[in-house]
Amino acid sequence: MTINCKGESLVLDKDKAIYWESKKMLIISDLHLGKGAHFRRAGIQVPATVMETDLDKLSRLISKFAPQILLVTGDMFHHQMNTEVETFRLWRTQFPDLRIILVKGNHDLLREEDYAGLSIEVHSKELLYFPFRFVHDQPRDFDEYYNITGHIHPGITIYGKARQQIKLPCFYFGSTCAILPAFSVFTGLSKIRAEEGDQFYAITPEKVVRV
Amino acid sequence: MMLEKSTGYKKVIRWLKSSKKKPFKFQTDAWQYYAEGYSGLVNAPTGFGKTFSMFLAVVIDELNNQEAIKGTIVHNKKSNTKDIPVKKARKPAGLKLIWITPLRSLAKDLARAMTEVCTALELDWHVGVRNGDTPQNEKLKQKKQMPEVLIITPESMHLLLAQKDTANYFSDLQCIVADEWHELLGSKRGVMAELAISRIRGLLMEKHPERLLRIWGISATIGNMEQALDVLVPYEDVLKTIVVADLEKKIEIKSILPDHIDMLPWAGHLGHKLAHKLLPIIEKSKTTLIFCNTRGQAELWYQNLLKLDENLAGQIAIHHGSIDYELRNWIEDAIHTGVLKAVISTSSLDLGVDFKPVDTVIQIGSPKGVARFLQRAGRSGHSPYETSRIYFLPTHALELVEAAAIKEAAKTHNIESREPVVMSFDVLIQYMVTLAVGDGFDDQKLFEEVKNTFAFKELELSEWNWMMQFITTGGESLTAYTEFSKVEKEDGLWKVKSRQMAMRHRLHIGTIVSDAMIKVKYLTGGYVGMVEESFLSKIKPGNSFTLAGRVLEFIMVKEMIALVRKSRLKTAITPSWMGGRMSLTANLGAILRRKYNQTLDKTHEDEELDIILPLFERQAKVSHVPKDDEFLIELIKTRDGYHFFAYPFEGRQVHEIMAALIAYRLSKSKPISFSIAMNDYGFELLSEQPIPLDEENIKLLFSPANLGEDIVASINSTEMARRKFRDIACISGLVFQGFPGKYVANKHLQSSSALFFNVFSDYDKHNLLLRQAYDEAFYQQIEEPRLAAALHRIQGSKVIIVRAESYTPLCFPIKVDSLRENMSSEELGERIARMTAEADKKEEQAQRRRKNDHQL
Repeated sequence: MTINCKGESLVLDKDKAIYWESKKMLIISDLHLGKGAHFRRAGIQVPATVMETDLDKLSRLISKFAPQILLVTGDMFHHQMNTEVETFRLWRTQFPDLRIILVKGNHDLLREEDYAGLSIEVHSKELLYFPFRFVHDQPRDFDEYYNITGHIHPGITIYGKARQQIKLPCFYFGSTCAILPAFSVFTGLSKIRAEEGDQFYAITPEKVVRV
Repeated sequence: MMLEKSTGYKKVIRWLKSSKKKPFKFQTDAWQYYAEGYSGLVNAPTGFGKTFSMFLAVVIDELNNQEAIKGTIVHNKKSNTKDIPVKKARKPAGLKLIWITPLRSLAKDLARAMTEVCTALELDWHVGVRNGDTPQNEKLKQKKQMPEVLIITPESMHLLLAQKDTANYFSDLQCIVADEWHELLGSKRGVMAELAISRIRGLLMEKHPERLLRIWGISATIGNMEQALDVLVPYEDVLKTIVVADLEKKIEIKSILPDHIDMLPWAGHLGHKLAHKLLPIIEKSKTTLIFCNTRGQAELWYQNLLKLDENLAGQIAIHHGSIDYELRNWIEDAIHTGVLKAVISTSSLDLGVDFKPVDTVIQIGSPKGVARFLQRAGRSGHSPYETSRIYFLPTHALELVEAAAIKEAAKTHNIESREPVVMSFDVLIQYMVTLAVGDGFDDQKLFEEVKNTFAFKELELSEWNWMMQFITTGGESLTAYTEFSKVEKEDGLWKVKSRQMAMRHRLHIGTIVSDAMIKVKYLTGGYVGMVEESFLSKIKPGNSFTLAGRVLEFIMVKEMIALVRKSRLKTAITPSWMGGRMSLTANLGAILRRKYNQTLDKTHEDEELDIILPLFERQAKVSHVPKDDEFLIELIKTRDGYHFFAYPFEGRQVHEIMAALIAYRLSKSKPISFSIAMNDYGFELLSEQPIPLDEENIKLLFSPANLGEDIVASINSTEMARRKFRDIACISGLVFQGFPGKYVANKHLQSSSALFFNVFSDYDKHNLLLRQAYDEAFYQQIEEPRLAAALHRIQGSKVIIVRAESYTPLCFPIKVDSLRENMSSEELGERIARMTAEADKKEEQAQRRRKNDHQL
């Protein structure tokens, strides 16, 4: 589904990514690479296939849109270097020409040289590409830039007949800020409160739908 | 030696005599069996000294042993020196008795009573308590020197096993007693107790194979006493017996009868109309316990009573699981001292210590089961030969029949069974890690030990191996769980090495999984209680709600605590707590069906049934009153569509599944969709199209053939399993819930059970925990065996199909219950008034028609 935001045309993909056509930029958030291994180290049984699924999904998106830039608005890695980060390093070699930019999130705690080693450009606070500001969490103050963020893993509950309900991940576009769904399979959802004029795009297994 | 001749026995009898008491026969029986080395189960009504039947048995045995030892010491003294000081420093004897109790609040009073006995009998024993409320320094003291008697919860037993060098604690252990065993039996906490007992027994056998460890349970009457004993003492090589008290507790059950019966009864309506009748009862009693079925109802009744009589302010209190711990403690103390006139409570006061001043109990609404009702009745008149007095307040007219049914069940001792929980892999996984956190375990030995318990006697080696993999390598394939670490082998034993992991595990031992609760606190300080997170997310700052009987204004949530101040409003919305609605038990259902016969035939002596007779006459006129061997179906067409009502009287849980099953089978012949409603008596299918149903196909619809397949096709079993998986994920250590209301420190390790459910469903289909979730859904939620039994019964009964013109007294409560779910109470009241009027009008028309017929 393609939408117009601040005069720019953005493609919302069901694989939880935005493609910004004019900049040839693929935007995702909350990838949480290494989260599974982080859990396993702590004695919680999370299969590694989870992360492989995430990377496969990302490969698919890259071959679909052929972007020049992959922008991650925070939480690309979950805490520390581990085997899953090594898997990522291997994956990275398939796309030597792809620029990867990371706007740091609260879970991105790797050392500077680790990011450099994975050829990732890091912005610790925010990244400005008019008319958008890419930042991990919503800023308090607003200016002429429209914020595109991640962090909260937005979800929406859709109610059906006969007391049926279903919770789905979603894209959120508010008056000053948009929130990307969390990219990783191994993430939860948090419901967000809607305000007048907000737009939600729920992600079903087949497609993105406006609700 | 004859027990009566022994010194210990004589001493105990002398002491009892001095306080003008005599042991009951079941007590002396228990003492005798204990002396002979038996394990077993004691069954006696409340208030007859069940505690003493076991505790004194151990004491007598100890006194006799001391006597024997003293004899030898005295002998030595003579031959040796004369100047040994007579009074020696206390020499601890080590842990002799472990007393398992399901409730923390019981421990304090038990310890007090036991200490009194020891003092009176000059027995130099310490009685210790160990549970979640025990202060840390006390626990450390116990670690250095165990008291002779330890009163403990199943969770704390596991915590004890999660410590280093525990084996030495149990060298002198004589007996393990499981108090209120019927309470533990049907839950995963019972499995925890089984496992802990098996380990302690194993440790003792390993070091001192010659010693005898007795295992005793104390239980109220349940339908499956024999099985209860087998669960507690599954060992072939021990002597075991059941000691039953030949005593009957007198129970007086009285219904609070309405002056007037509405022709169309609906749930909840009648109760508050009768509220004023409670006032004289409360007035003339010393202290009254008022039981409600839900926390929300308790809050409503508290407000209601205060509204009726303002003088009660300060004299009544409210007690339920979501009220702050200290507040609850205060209330319990206040009941003890008799300060309170009445306490409104939920099942939180079902069990527990004897409140001496309580002389009256009131049950509001159906208690849904015989055992629960009797348990609650037993909360009054606690001492032997005193009569327990319980009043039953119906919340709708048909519940009067339930009152009559319960009376009969109480008379005939038709009491429900408690099904023991088996094969809970989650509890076993937690237990294995618990032992690994402690001294470590040998997997082969432990497998044998675990297989000896009742809960895991069917455990396969392949399942055990899967669980070993789960805690050591993470799961089946090695590559899928790289970097996993939890339990590792060290010196031949499986252990948890990481201190952090060990600490986290200890914090999460237990099987009680709480909802996401938020503590409620006054701005000025002081906790009130807890509400569900989802409830708070729905109300805005400035709105008011009631909790613990107080009207509170919500200000904000800060660090997982909801801050409130007192509101000036008199009434406000009541939070609803999740927590399943209880369902009618099979026993009660059967008697209920019989009572329906008796009402019309007038072959009964129940005043409840007399009062409700007009309602039954109306039912007989507009439809039919089902007899014991009949199965009633009502087909009604209204503006809403085509209704199909069926009355199996099996409880709402069975009805929910049965309704889905019938809906599915109906839709197989022709595409048709239904909305479903149910209560404890029956269920409704409502459709826009005529329902293809007649005398021909009805038995086929309710056939037990292909039941399993049809259930799977008709209900969303995945969704049910997902719900069950929530607890399983917490217990097995996949998800950390943190303590209710406490800030979760391990944020970076947080995830949800739903996430794991999806991940395992997608990537690890053979996961045993996943299988357990489906099994639990099938047996506990769907109750497949009971459903099958009900369908068989229906096959054998005469089906009566009535095409009624308007809502009948029987179907009305079902209809109203379904409306309640999507309407506010005001709207509901209006809507019901309209429906009643319509039904009355149709009835009038019918009467007029009949009259005309007559004239013609």
